[in-house]
Amino acid sequence: MDDLPQLRSRRSLTLRFDIPISKTREFWESLSRGKFVTTKCANCGRVSFPPQSDCPDCMASESEWVDLGPEASLVTFTQVRVTPASFEGKGPYTIAIAEFRDGVRALAWLEGVDPETAEPGMKVRIEARTGEGGNPYYVFVPS
Amino acid sequence: MSRVAVVGIGHSRFGRRTDVNLGELAFESIKQAVDDAGVDRKDIGNVVVGSAGGWYEESLPAVVVGEYAGLSGAGTMRVEAACASGSAAVKAAYNSIMSGETDVAMAVGVEKMTEVDTPTSVELIGRAGSYTWEFENYGMTFPAYYALYAVAHMKKFGTTQEDLARISVKAHHYGSMNPLAQFQKEITLEKALGSQMVAWPLKLYDACPLSDGSASVVLASEDVAKTLTDTPVWIRGVGYSSDTANLSRREDYVGLRAAVTAASKAYSMAKVSPREIDVATAHDCFTIAELMAYEDLGFCEKGGGARMVREGETELGGRIPVNLDGGLKAKGHPIGATGVSMAVEITKQLRGEAGRHQAPIKHGVGLAHNIGGTGHYAYVTILSRD
Repeated sequence: MDDLPQLRSRRSLTLRFDIPISKTREFWESLSRGKFVTTKCANCGRVSFPPQSDCPDCMASESEWVDLGPEASLVTFTQVRVTPASFEGKGPYTIAIAEFRDGVRALAWLEGVDPETAEPGMKVRIEARTGEGGNPYYVFVPS
Repeated sequence: MSRVAVVGIGHSRFGRRTDVNLGELAFESIKQAVDDAGVDRKDIGNVVVGSAGGWYEESLPAVVVGEYAGLSGAGTMRVEAACASGSAAVKAAYNSIMSGETDVAMAVGVEKMTEVDTPTSVELIGRAGSYTWEFENYGMTFPAYYALYAVAHMKKFGTTQEDLARISVKAHHYGSMNPLAQFQKEITLEKALGSQMVAWPLKLYDACPLSDGSASVVLASEDVAKTLTDTPVWIRGVGYSSDTANLSRREDYVGLRAAVTAASKAYSMAKVSPREIDVATAHDCFTIAELMAYEDLGFCEKGGGARMVREGETELGGRIPVNLDGGLKAKGHPIGATGVSMAVEITKQLRGEAGRHQAPIKHGVGLAHNIGGTGHYAYVTILSRD
């Protein structure tokens, strides 16, 4: 079947996005300083992660920044063995969802833990990292 | 209240279809559906095309498909609800008849996922969630999203990798009876359990393939349906719902809230209970997804999915046979086509035209459970003979 004739498109397309972060700037700047913060609605008190300047509960647009980290506990996890195109050569990597003390959760890589021996409830800590191009990101590590 | 019936069905062969382009692939199912319905194409007022897109060269699939199949002129649009785009298309076509805009409408589901290389397809599906927060730095993949659910389900309810592998064996068993399926070979439990790890603990045989394919249905108003066919299959209920883009914001990881809500709405609209479902298709993009579907649809209690598998309750001859066409796992999962393919399969079952994989029909009711992303979108459609 694969020897059937095909026209390979002459053009390839590279997509690179400039993603606005002005409304969550505090998060990224704090992360660069090793702190993990998120938004709390000034009107109803809803804490959101990912941070968002407009409250999904009451729709108020006034929020304050609160400290979330660093302690969290594992909720669930997996290990990616077959990676997407842009993560070629980066695998395998372990991904976890962990919950902070006020019930807010985040998804990130989990470093230094074998997923086959991990258990929900295991204590982890969130840590800042610097990625390619200087972009800050965060990972979970054993507490 | 007036009603809407499925009066024509069409289905292409699913698989790696390097022999056809997007329009040609869609044509295969459109032609069958139009012929099956016995309608004149000029009477089709609305053609809704379900396609997620991004992996084929065309940006406007609805008009490309419309032109190729001689449907230009009809109202049309492309709808996207990720892997539930097909059911969204059926729902939109249904709405256009219920609203009185037209008496005949069509839903076409079509996808060509193999025109780009596999890592690129894996990437595009991996981005199906929250790009900035869950993909950009972490490289989520579609198997990884469902693996997060599989691990949580295993830890909470004792579901095992073997339970999941049994679902794969079942899918391949029925796939072997479906000449349109991507995989038409039986597999053993050992082969499933020994297959390559894709996103621990999910393996290659826990996962549906990347597929090309199309499926189409022609829908008609009650008055017109009765002039076209003696075997209309009525759309009795459609429930739909959604959940957060970020997996981190989900309530739990042992079921899909959107599916539970969609099912509840569909049962209520159709005035039927899970006990009256003769046959169902469940969205088994991964084996864990089918197992959770049993629970989310109320076929068993929460946590009872593995027991249903172990006792064969969803096999032919069991209490509620599920995915007798091979499911997404063996039949293939051309994303936008899947929901329409489910409507085609349930219609065939209710007409008694499913051949070797025909379920016994007692109540005359079938159900299609179609999920987009990882429970990001959910559509449950209930069809019946009367």
